[in-house]
Amino acid sequence: MDLSLYLYLPIAGNSVNILAILGLGGAVGLLSGIFGVGGGFLMTPLLMMFGIPPTVAAASDSNQIVGASTSGTFAHFRMGNVDIKMGLLLLIGGILGGTVGVQIIKVLRQLGNADFLISITYVLMLGFVGGYMFLESLQSMRAAGKPKAETKPKKESTYARMLASLPLQMDFPRSGVRMSLFMPLVLGVMVGVLAAIMGVGGGFIMVPVMVYLLRMPMHVVVGTSLFQILFTCINVTIMQAAQNHTVDFILALLLLIGSSVGAQVGAKVGKKLGGEQLKIMLASLVLVVMVKMLYDLLARPDILLAYMGGH
Amino acid sequence: MTSRTLWLCSAILVIGCLWASGALAEGEVRFSSAPDSVLMDTFYNGATLKVSGVVPAGSDVALRLVGAPQTLHLREKGKVLGLLWMNVGAVEFENVPNAYLVATSKPFSDLGRVGQSLRIEGLRAGITQNTGASSTNLDALQELLSLKVHDGLYAESPLPVKLEADQGTERSFSASIGVPSGLTPGDYRLEALALRDGETIGSVSTPVRAQLVGLPAWLNHMAFDNGLTYGVLATVIAILSGLAIGMVFQSKGAH
Repeated sequence: MDLSLYLYLPIAGNSVNILAILGLGGAVGLLSGIFGVGGGFLMTPLLMMFGIPPTVAAASDSNQIVGASTSGTFAHFRMGNVDIKMGLLLLIGGILGGTVGVQIIKVLRQLGNADFLISITYVLMLGFVGGYMFLESLQSMRAAGKPKAETKPKKESTYARMLASLPLQMDFPRSGVRMSLFMPLVLGVMVGVLAAIMGVGGGFIMVPVMVYLLRMPMHVVVGTSLFQILFTCINVTIMQAAQNHTVDFILALLLLIGSSVGAQVGAKVGKKLGGEQLKIMLASLVLVVMVKMLYDLLARPDILLAYMGGH
Repeated sequence: MTSRTLWLCSAILVIGCLWASGALAEGEVRFSSAPDSVLMDTFYNGATLKVSGVVPAGSDVALRLVGAPQTLHLREKGKVLGLLWMNVGAVEFENVPNAYLVATSKPFSDLGRVGQSLRIEGLRAGITQNTGASSTNLDALQELLSLKVHDGLYAESPLPVKLEADQGTERSFSASIGVPSGLTPGDYRLEALALRDGETIGSVSTPVRAQLVGLPAWLNHMAFDNGLTYGVLATVIAILSGLAIGMVFQSKGAH
């Protein structure tokens, strides 16, 4: 018998090339180490191309993100880039929001055409967030070249005043900000709701929220986001394994070996890049994902029937 | 050699001789497959069944591996607002063979009427569609067949069955049937048909079982019977691996 480079995935019910999956994990882990996103948006469709059912792909991906974000959080923590206080508050909000979101999606599905609403919302959000980040970082990169020229002091002061007027102010020394306890909690709930409705980890929404609404420095945002993703994905993995039996551990293990290494390299690459460079690259990535989603919606699928996702 | 092994050897010899010398009754087909089951272990990546046997002289051969019939619920994709492709409904089929792999000794078109019915298209007759598609001009059954072909579970390969010249009243054949890695564990039927003048003149089938063994079997059992423990274990191992890799990089960075 020849030395096999293939492994059989018992839950996915198919075999995969070990090197391909390790490489895929490495690439996605790199992105998550640099930008603090889980990478599910990229991983799930790619795994489906390898013949893995969508439900198994998504659940096993959250299992591997547990490994990759542990590795990434670890790396960022050593660089002092994790704001644990802020992360925990966002996390509590996120879990509350996730529970609400799951109920909302049930109601939406009963009303019919939920998929349509979700896809459209997702594409619009990605477009808006990506576009805004891109333009904003482009502006500040240009502004950085010239002597100090603050462009929008008016808007900022209104928002800052609103922030300062909220009760229960506290310091977040890691991020170097002072704000009300309610800000991360409420924003966490909002991101949690959106993430549950769209069925994504929420990194893409969380990162911009931390940058623009919580005004955290970009490097701390990446570390804190990974810290938060770690807990979200532990929760998802256990729930999926217990209720839907869709976690393929062999697949997750292969992916996480690749992605944990990728996340370490990513954290180092991210350290070398400036905050604005990071922002503009993430913005481009978000826009690419949006274009891809839009393409999927507009192009005629090869086969007009698909296996049931979900339950 | 013990007397038991001796007895076994002579029994095998006698059966072998009987096979080699025995003349076939009209339309009789005999074959064997090696291996006669599909064992899905850690390194399983599909399997090849080597099939050999005899058919009456002058006939062609078709071999097929057919899976158990199942009921399938599928999502139908359609255009919303004349622009976006989305899930627009659900379609249910009954009596859909789990897998259908067919191989013949001649192109299907040269096999006459029976050739057409052996093709994947021939499965249409047996499958019933319970819920109608929301789009009237969607041939849902055709889409179902395409989906299965795309997954590698339905395949037709003309010509992989090798036929020898007639020897008396019979001729022998051999073939290699590739079993896809995406085959679900379960019971399958391997069937050999002797074809002549566009008709099936004889057939015989044998059960082939596809089953998980070793690590995949254990993991599958854990995932379905102890889901919570499995989930917690998977998470803990992921965290430990993440930490371990993190530490490897830390020690590297310190140097």
